[in-house]
Amino acid sequence: MKLISEPLSLLKRIVLGVIGTLGIGLILEVLIRTRVISGAGLPLPSAVVRQGYHLLGNTAFLTQVFYTLREWMLGLLIASVVGVILGGLMGAIPTVFTMFSLPVEVLRPLPAIAIGPLLLLLLGTSMLPMSLTVAAACVWPILFNAMYAMRSVDPVAVQTAKTMHVSPLGIMARVRLPASLPFMFTGIRVSASIGLIVAVSVELLLGSGGGIGGYILLASTSASNLDVVYAATAVTGLLGVLVSGLFALADRAAFGWKKGLAQ
Amino acid sequence: MTDNQIPAELVMTGIAKVYGTNRAIDDISATVPAGQVTVIVGPSGAGKTTLLRIICGLDAPTSGQVHFDGAPIDGVPDGLAMVFQDYSRSLFPWLRVEANVGFPLRRIDKKLRRSRVMEALEAVGLAGKEHLYPWEMSGGMQQRVAIARALACHPRLLVMDEPYASVDAQTRAELEDLLLTIQATMKITVLVVTHDIDESVYLADNIIVLSKAPSRVSEEIPVRLARPRDQITTKEDAEFIRLRAHVLRLLRNIPEAPTGAGSLAAKVTA
Repeated sequence: MKLISEPLSLLKRIVLGVIGTLGIGLILEVLIRTRVISGAGLPLPSAVVRQGYHLLGNTAFLTQVFYTLREWMLGLLIASVVGVILGGLMGAIPTVFTMFSLPVEVLRPLPAIAIGPLLLLLLGTSMLPMSLTVAAACVWPILFNAMYAMRSVDPVAVQTAKTMHVSPLGIMARVRLPASLPFMFTGIRVSASIGLIVAVSVELLLGSGGGIGGYILLASTSASNLDVVYAATAVTGLLGVLVSGLFALADRAAFGWKKGLAQ
Repeated sequence: MTDNQIPAELVMTGIAKVYGTNRAIDDISATVPAGQVTVIVGPSGAGKTTLLRIICGLDAPTSGQVHFDGAPIDGVPDGLAMVFQDYSRSLFPWLRVEANVGFPLRRIDKKLRRSRVMEALEAVGLAGKEHLYPWEMSGGMQQRVAIARALACHPRLLVMDEPYASVDAQTRAELEDLLLTIQATMKITVLVVTHDIDESVYLADNIIVLSKAPSRVSEEIPVRLARPRDQITTKEDAEFIRLRAHVLRLLRNIPEAPTGAGSLAAKVTA
């Protein structure tokens, strides 16, 4: 018997994914080569792939990739610590929420990229102002997830602990926090992707030459280097895919139990 | 259990609870005798859960007092363990069964804790399941874990709020018998709140019937059915049938031993 919608096997999903990706590249390649679309500096997929392959063996480029990764991780770490602590306390304690809800609402709509140049002026040219810019963009999803998670912990779970004489602090540490962790991690996962975008953007904007953004900026000053620009951009995209895949794996490993949370 | 627990007695005197202008509990005075099974039964909305929260010290009554072994309660009394209706919400999904059952015993030495956890799991028939997560188990097994967790505290009073309302009928019968066996071996005081009339008569030594909100005690009924009870023979006993009809009449406000026409009229108005 055939079910109305049978899930695809892993092999089928991989094959379909490869066909889709290659198909888009092939169509673009044909359109440019046959001059259906034309113009100076259009990316030929084959040339971008070739350049990308060269770039991955290029130590100068790889150094910049690691620079961006370090900048991003530092920013994400700062955002996670601030977001989890402040958001968690805002969710758990109404007094803290009342104190901080206005500042949070005022700061949240500010585009993080806009504060990058200010931070650079204040702190000088280094990785720190760029990481702080990343943190400024990443902190919001983490903070709000932490806040709503702590606030919506199941009251039955809390009452259960109360009937066992668990102190208020104990309830925070042994019930509210563990019950909220999966949602806090979801916030960090969302922010991880945002952070990578902001990291490269702020490098492009500040033009201090650091990171993948700096590399792209330098390469784009010469028109003959356009394939390198495209390839570096593509590598950034792949990095994003890798990061979100790793976070998904970590989520499944650490928080597989969350399907047991009553909805 | 190993140490000899003396069962506790619970006395409610003139309990009332008012929320704003809404009088949920009007006046409840009743006794839960030590070492017996007492069942509180009432129509839905009779403030049963509110009363339980007051008994457990989670909520304060507007007036009146609860005494636990002679001492007025102020917060959750020592020696009271609670089993909630909703096991999927009261068990902690990030902990395995062993850690869930051991959760209230954190102050106890690790070795002793483990032996008490295993003893409690044994008592509810879940030996060997300590490495599972609660959500990997059936509803009936999860409620057994919740009961084991309460027993691991060596309670002197076990309070259960609609403990079997979320499991199927077969499992319900099994868990009722499990509770009676545990109560008989450990001699603890048990207080069960339910809306199921058959369950109240089957389990109880005493039934406290509540009226509709604002609730009062309609009647305290002693149940003299033989123990150990049996799902088949106890339930076909004439006394069981008389008692369940009596409780049902109290809940529906139908006068005792009615004539045919009278009972029909009363049913229509109920």
